[in-house]
Amino acid sequence: MAVDKHTARWRVVGHSVRGATHERAGVPNQDAIHWLPESSAGLPLILAVADGHGSHKSFRSETGARLAVETAAQVINDFLLGQAQTESLSVTKRAAEEWLPAALTRRWLAAVSAHLAAHPLVADELKLAPDIHGTSRSDAPSNPPVVYGTTILAAAVTTGFIIYLQLGDGEILTVSKEGAVTRPLSKDERLFANETTSLCSPDAWRDFRVCFQVVSNAPPSLILLCTDGYSNSFHDEQGFLKVGTDILDMIRADGLEMVNEHLASWLTESTYAGSGDDVTLGLILNQDEERHASVEHEV
Amino acid sequence: MSMRPGGELATRPLHFIWMADCSGSMDVDGKIQSLNTAIKEAIPNMQTVADENPNAQVLVRAIKFSSGAQWHVSQPTEVADFRWEDLTAEGVTDMGKALTMVAEQLRIPPMTERALPPVLVLISDGQPTDDYASGLKALMGEPWGRKAVRIAIAIGEDADTEVLQKFIGNPELKPLQANNPEALVKYIKWVSTAVLKSASSPASQTSDSATPGMNVPIPVLPESVPASADDVW
Repeated sequence: MAVDKHTARWRVVGHSVRGATHERAGVPNQDAIHWLPESSAGLPLILAVADGHGSHKSFRSETGARLAVETAAQVINDFLLGQAQTESLSVTKRAAEEWLPAALTRRWLAAVSAHLAAHPLVADELKLAPDIHGTSRSDAPSNPPVVYGTTILAAAVTTGFIIYLQLGDGEILTVSKEGAVTRPLSKDERLFANETTSLCSPDAWRDFRVCFQVVSNAPPSLILLCTDGYSNSFHDEQGFLKVGTDILDMIRADGLEMVNEHLASWLTESTYAGSGDDVTLGLILNQDEERHASVEHEV
Repeated sequence: MSMRPGGELATRPLHFIWMADCSGSMDVDGKIQSLNTAIKEAIPNMQTVADENPNAQVLVRAIKFSSGAQWHVSQPTEVADFRWEDLTAEGVTDMGKALTMVAEQLRIPPMTERALPPVLVLISDGQPTDDYASGLKALMGEPWGRKAVRIAIAIGEDADTEVLQKFIGNPELKPLQANNPEALVKYIKWVSTAVLKSASSPASQTSDSATPGMNVPIPVLPESVPASADDVW
C-alpha cells in the first residue's frame, strides 16, 4: 500500500532494556514494546508499551506484556478501520473512551487464555514459588490472568485525532513545537508504592484512562511512552520531564536515526544508575511539525 | 552525540526505621541489652543485602520511646555508615509520640513518591502509656505510612500484642513473639535481611488486593523459637 507523502512524516522508534536488578537475578525483561505499521512510518500510527508486573504471582508477566502490546496495537488498528467512515469526531471520541478499554481487556484475556491452553502451567513453574508469607504460586491458578499481569500504555495518531490510553503505571508525555512537556492523561492516585492497576484485575476496563485529542493547529511534535522503570530512574520529576525537551532538541540537531541509535545505551545507563527496573521508551515524532519549526527558525 | 537526555539519575531510596521501646521494663532481665546486641549483629546483614541490590539506597534511622520519644539516629543514614549506639531503658511507654514523629518524617515531602516502600520495625515489651491511637492515626494518615512494610516484635508475654497488631494493620501478619534473646536475634535478623530484600525489589503488585500492606510481599516468617526453660521474658 502506498504511503501518503504527508502522513509518512510521522515516525516511531523505541527500545526496551532488561533492568539491572533483573540482570543480577537472571530474570528476563518483562517489559514489551510494539508498533504498527511495522514500517514505523505513516498514519495511522500506533505505539504500545507494557510493563509485566514481575511479582511472584505474575510469573508469566513477560508473556503477558508481549500479548498486551500486540493486542493493543491490533485492537486499536481494528477500531480505527471501523471508524474510517465516521465523520463525527464526537462519535469516535465516545467509542474510543467506551469501547476500546473493554475490547482491549477482552482480547487480552482471550489471548492469555489461549496461551494458557497451549502452555499449561507446569509443576516446575509452581515449584519455583518464592518464600512468601501467606501465599504461594500455587494460589495463582485460581485467577489465571494474574499469572500474566501487566500494564498497558498506547498512543494512536491519525490525520484527524490522537488517542492516548493507559492502564497502570508508566508515563505518557507530549512535547509541543515550542518544547513544552505535558501529560495528556490525568494522574491516577492508586499508582503508588509498587501498586498498579492491571489488565489482570477484575473489571480492568474501568481503570483505563483515555484522552482523545483532535489534531488541530498545534499537534505535538513528539509523543513519549515509557514504563515506570524509566521515570523512576530520575532523581526528581523535573529531571524526568526534561527528557521530552532534550530528545526533541537532539532530534532537531542530529536527526531521529541518531537518537534511535543511542536509545539502548541511554536506557541501560538509566536502569543501572537509577531504578534497576526494566526500562522501555517509545517515541512518536511528527516530522511535519519539525519541518515547520525549522522553517520558522530559518525565517 | 554522547549526552543522555533528562536530568540527574538516582537509585530509589528505601527508608528503614527501627522503633525501639526503651521503657523501664526493658531494663528487666537484660531485654534492652539483648535488643542492642541483636541490632548490632543485624547491621552487617543489612549491609550485605544493600550491596546485593545497589539500585535501592537503604537509609536507616532509629527512634526510641519511653517518657516521650526521641530520634536515636535522626538522619537517614546509608546502611554502610550506620553504627548502633547502645540504648538505655527508663521511664514509661509513649509509643504514640514515636508513631507521630515517624509519621512526620513519612510526609511527602520530605519523602518522594518514587521511593521504595519504607520498612518500619516496632519493638515493644509493654503497653502504651500515651494516646497511641492518635499516633497510629497520624501514621496511617500519610500515604507512605499506609504503604510502609510494618513489622512488630513483642518482647515477652507482657507486650500488648493487640496494639502491635493494629500497627501492622494486616490480619495475615501477626506480631513476632520473642520470649528470649535467641528469638529476638532471629526475628531482628529476619526483618533486616529477608524483609529488607523484599522491599528492595521493584516488582509491581496489583492495587486491587483485598489485603492491606501487600504492596511488598512478606517473606515466610522464621520458625518460632519454641518455649523452653531458657525463656527469660
